[in-house]
Amino acid sequence: MASTMQLNDAPGLAASSRPGVRLVRKHHLLVRVSHWLNVLLLGGLIVSGISIYWASPIYRHSPDPKTGNVDYLADVGVWLCAYVPGLHSYASPPDWLYNHFGLGPYMLAPALRLHWCCAYLFMLNGLVYLAGLWLGGEWRSVLPRASDSHGALFMAKYYLGAPFALLRRRRRVPPRFKSKYNPLQRLAYFSIPIAAFFSVVTGWAIHKPMQFSWLAALFGGFDRARVWHFLLMCLFIAFVVPHVILVFAAGWDTVRSMITGWSKRSEMGGQSNES
Amino acid sequence: MSPEENGAHLKPAKKSTPGAESHGLFPERRPEIIEVTPQVARRLTRRDFLTFGAGAIVALGVAASQVPSTTLQRLGLKFWPRNQWFLNKAQRFDDDVAELVYSPNRLVPTYRKSQVTPLKNNYNGATPDPGYIPGWHLTLDGLSSGLAASLDIRTLLERFQVHDQITRLVCVEGWSAISWWSGLKFEELLQAYPPASEAKWAFIESSVNLDPNGNPDPYYVSIDLATARHQQTLLATHYNGKPLSVEHGAPLRLIAPMKLGLKNIKAITRITYTKAEPKDYWAERGYSRYDGI
Repeated sequence: MASTMQLNDAPGLAASSRPGVRLVRKHHLLVRVSHWLNVLLLGGLIVSGISIYWASPIYRHSPDPKTGNVDYLADVGVWLCAYVPGLHSYASPPDWLYNHFGLGPYMLAPALRLHWCCAYLFMLNGLVYLAGLWLGGEWRSVLPRASDSHGALFMAKYYLGAPFALLRRRRRVPPRFKSKYNPLQRLAYFSIPIAAFFSVVTGWAIHKPMQFSWLAALFGGFDRARVWHFLLMCLFIAFVVPHVILVFAAGWDTVRSMITGWSKRSEMGGQSNES
Repeated sequence: MSPEENGAHLKPAKKSTPGAESHGLFPERRPEIIEVTPQVARRLTRRDFLTFGAGAIVALGVAASQVPSTTLQRLGLKFWPRNQWFLNKAQRFDDDVAELVYSPNRLVPTYRKSQVTPLKNNYNGATPDPGYIPGWHLTLDGLSSGLAASLDIRTLLERFQVHDQITRLVCVEGWSAISWWSGLKFEELLQAYPPASEAKWAFIESSVNLDPNGNPDPYYVSIDLATARHQQTLLATHYNGKPLSVEHGAPLRLIAPMKLGLKNIKAITRITYTKAEPKDYWAERGYSRYDGI
């Protein structure tokens, strides 16, 4: 019943019986805008954050007798330049990682400014995202459900097995779920905003450890709050890499839906009659 | 992999089997479906791609103009225009926020002696030759009396009560150290030698600082009087119960634990009270001017 009403009300559909395209609303405009802004802001935060990390690395060893280096991340650069073909002639191996994933070494002042700039916009953008989730009703779709633990594990196994299935040219029937997102997606899309909240809170704890000393204490003090802040960044990277791979693996429709807001995958024709 | 193969998470089920899967407390609503002609769908897509694309180009262009030139060079954007507007605004905004969240009555956490951690000599540049210490005196200027005052360390220690304080020093670089300091309260010096009534700032200088090559490189910081008057702001004379060593700023240094370490100037030689905000060594080098933490 509802579907016929939508058919009649659909804007732009000619009165004739010409075949139309069914479009399913997926993302509110505010969700889409904040999603893409987030790419830039999170990128800016990570890049500047790595340059801030350089000034006083968390993970350090006793000084190297030759160079005096204490930083494991500098060691990563040294290792890469020693063993990766094409990098042997790199001018400053200890700086490799900072030059490629940060603003570079000796960039603390610009890195801090960039970090504050992105951080305030990131907080603002987080509110825009929440507003979009609310206005579009999408928040219901990212709430984890009681039965999700099993499904999330199943999907994790399915995704991890995908490269092998591809290599063996075996067609697999993708699991179906009666929801916008599968349980693993729900888990990820629900926990990442929470992680973002905690990265903001740990950020304040290390930015104002005296005025908000209670906040720093909540995370085990100033030094430990720095570690939490760093680990949360690692979590974002751990999310972003499979997120991007899976979105492109899922197909153009998924990427496009984050721009236009709608999906063409609308097999919901009969839904109104059945549910 | 084609979309059909891996589109599982986008496909709502055709048949519902109630009870098989929990829907949570707030079940999903049925998504809104519209049906449009292919032409309209194409037009909507084009409109959104152009809008988002233009937005992305503008955002990336502005972002690129804010990053340091060496970073741009690595990206091959040698001649991209540089503009620090957003970064400067963000820094100013962040300083305003820092000033807003500062409370003169809020005490910073203090620690026990057993919690003290090692503190490195973080002199910016070379450590000065201790030869300046015997002839050292503190000059106070911008006082309400209109005269400059000159005090040596003995006078300071005789006239003022020495307070112990174990607080955390937080460096802009990200490390921190819990240290035991003793010294006079800045507030008590302000009472004994009141600044001119219109003064809002203390300009604190050290003439003995050196650059990394050992050449004179005077250091100076701006401290707002609200911070100077905080009861935990010390003009420290002792570290770990002993008179300050040259590494830690003998014979008198600032300990303002509610500011970043770089404001905690060592080997103070002069304090001038001013109405206008004075210059600051690290603010001139791109760091915050307020540095409240």
